[in-house]
Amino acid sequence: MILRARDIQKRFESRWVLRGASLALEPGECVLLQGPNGSGKTTFARILATLLAPDRGGVEIEGVAPEKNRRGARRAIGFASHQPHLYPGLTPLENLSFFGRLAGVPAAEARAIGLLDRFALTPFTRTPMEHFSRGMFQRVALTRALLPEPKLLILDEPYAGLDDEGTATLNELLADAKARGAATLLIAHERERAGALVTRSAALRNGVVEGEGS
Amino acid sequence: MNESTATPARWWNATGRVLWLLALALVSASWWAAAAYAPVEAQMGPVQKIVYVHVPSAIVTLIAFGLTFAASIAFLTTKQWRWDAIAAASCELGMVFATVVLITGPLWARSAWNTWWTWEPRLTSFLILWILYAGYHVVRGSLHSASRRTVSSVLGIVLFVNLPIVWKSVEWWRGSLHPRNVTMTGEMRETLLLSMAAWFVFFAAALVSRLRLEWIREAVAERA
Amino acid sequence: MTLIDVAVKDLRLHARDARFLATLLLFSASLVLILSVAFGPIFREPAREAAATLWAALFFAGVLGLTRSLDLEGEAGGGDAVRLTGADPYSIFLGKTLANFTLLAVVFALVLPIASVFFDVGDLRTLPILVGVAALALLGYAAWGTLFAALARGLKARELLLSVLLFPSLVPLWIGAVKCTHALWAGGSIEPVRDWIKLMAVADVLGLALAAFLYELIQEASE
Repeated sequence: MILRARDIQKRFESRWVLRGASLALEPGECVLLQGPNGSGKTTFARILATLLAPDRGGVEIEGVAPEKNRRGARRAIGFASHQPHLYPGLTPLENLSFFGRLAGVPAAEARAIGLLDRFALTPFTRTPMEHFSRGMFQRVALTRALLPEPKLLILDEPYAGLDDEGTATLNELLADAKARGAATLLIAHERERAGALVTRSAALRNGVVEGEGS
Repeated sequence: MNESTATPARWWNATGRVLWLLALALVSASWWAAAAYAPVEAQMGPVQKIVYVHVPSAIVTLIAFGLTFAASIAFLTTKQWRWDAIAAASCELGMVFATVVLITGPLWARSAWNTWWTWEPRLTSFLILWILYAGYHVVRGSLHSASRRTVSSVLGIVLFVNLPIVWKSVEWWRGSLHPRNVTMTGEMRETLLLSMAAWFVFFAAALVSRLRLEWIREAVAERA
Repeated sequence: MTLIDVAVKDLRLHARDARFLATLLLFSASLVLILSVAFGPIFREPAREAAATLWAALFFAGVLGLTRSLDLEGEAGGGDAVRLTGADPYSIFLGKTLANFTLLAVVFALVLPIASVFFDVGDLRTLPILVGVAALALLGYAAWGTLFAALARGLKARELLLSVLLFPSLVPLWIGAVKCTHALWAGGSIEPVRDWIKLMAVADVLGLALAAFLYELIQEASE
């Protein structure tokens, strides 16, 4: 089991956003998590990505709690969210090389160039990102998440800002990841874009994960 | 952080009441002693009696910030919210006593040496201390999330560790006008010791009450 | 190596932000000018007044620089991405400290000649020792500053808070720096104030050591 979240509870001030959310992911799975706005999906995603600590309950990445091995847990995760988690002042290649080197990715630069090419960003690899469009930021952000070939992908609204080509490329890359044995958690409003990739779906409502369907 | 908070235990409230009564008794006694029992100092006159408030306040301030330091370490190692509550409450009270030091100091200086502020090292260090711990409260008040506790605890540690260096620096920077370790004897010494005990008990009583408030606050938040 | 990568990344970002650099340098130069006007036109003790001016300007420039470094991490969530790489937090701290130190060194290199000229102090003979003293002071500033800046992240009125939190902690470093600079410019020797060097070194070591224990905690102090 790659990811196991047990009874996650989280509050902000006195408002309980998550009230015992549980989720488990096996290798090769692609789980779609839906839910109304404000249901805590983003908070849940951040907790699963070990960026945020829950008030109660715990997360296990490959059977180990992140506190025990933060480096190992984080290096197994690829995370993309509403924020691009990049430095606008750097070029895509500089961004990716930096994060790749910090994460210990072998041949980070070469791999980055390859991925950027898949997303048709080759003409822009050495341009500072300041004036990039939303869609371009999104594509570089996804590249950042996929760079270390993680075992667990947590993608919060990954299709936002992507055109048809970008969507197709993302789905190709997700299929590759699945074939590699990675597990993917997709948080999205609509199912259509992900389509055939999804093996299971669930919803986050009232602070808990409900309904497992496929 | 899985602890039940419930409301403050009865024994806690009872302890608080006892401490306040004791504090009331001791503080009254110390004031009487300062006024009537301790003799008037030859050189500085009746104003010297401010020392019976000034010195105990200084000592309680340092104890309070020391407690903040210890409680901060305890929180970071155990992650139990109680320790953070103790650290913050102790820091609040420390500020009150530090303010007393900074008010009584200049008052004394004015009548003894005819100047409000002398850059005397100990008083200057206390001023810096005051600003530092005011910063603690400003930071704590600006954060409303779970990070508040961790950030406050780190600050509680970092600030306290700085104190000896700040002390030494200010001492080197300025010679001392402060009466250096004046030895007190007889009635003066007894009055001073009584005052120290009185204000320390006062501090303890206030701390217990303040923590009771934190206890209730946390219970309310947990239940929502 | 994480330390170098982080430092290079920060410096690269600063170097590309011409507006920020211009603001920083202009601000520092203006401070020196304002203080020399306040002390002048006849300087009663030029060595002392120049030393005070130099270090006052550096203090405020430092706050600006530190806040900017912090903002760069929050802008588009770059800081979180760094956490996600699983890189060693202390190496990240050291990298950021190195970058902040370099930035401060650049400001120092600009402000020093301006102060020297306006107050008509200083000479090449004492310059190496002065640079050594400055390195000691600025290293401590960078270390404590990086620590406090990380604590202040996400707070409104960050600059204000940073100044309030930083200044008292920097007391030993700043008094030491002013005293040593003054001694060098007035008497040409650091001998009479040698003890301050030791105190400054202690403050530096303390800052770097505390960060080893505390930086990871600060970094992980999440919402």
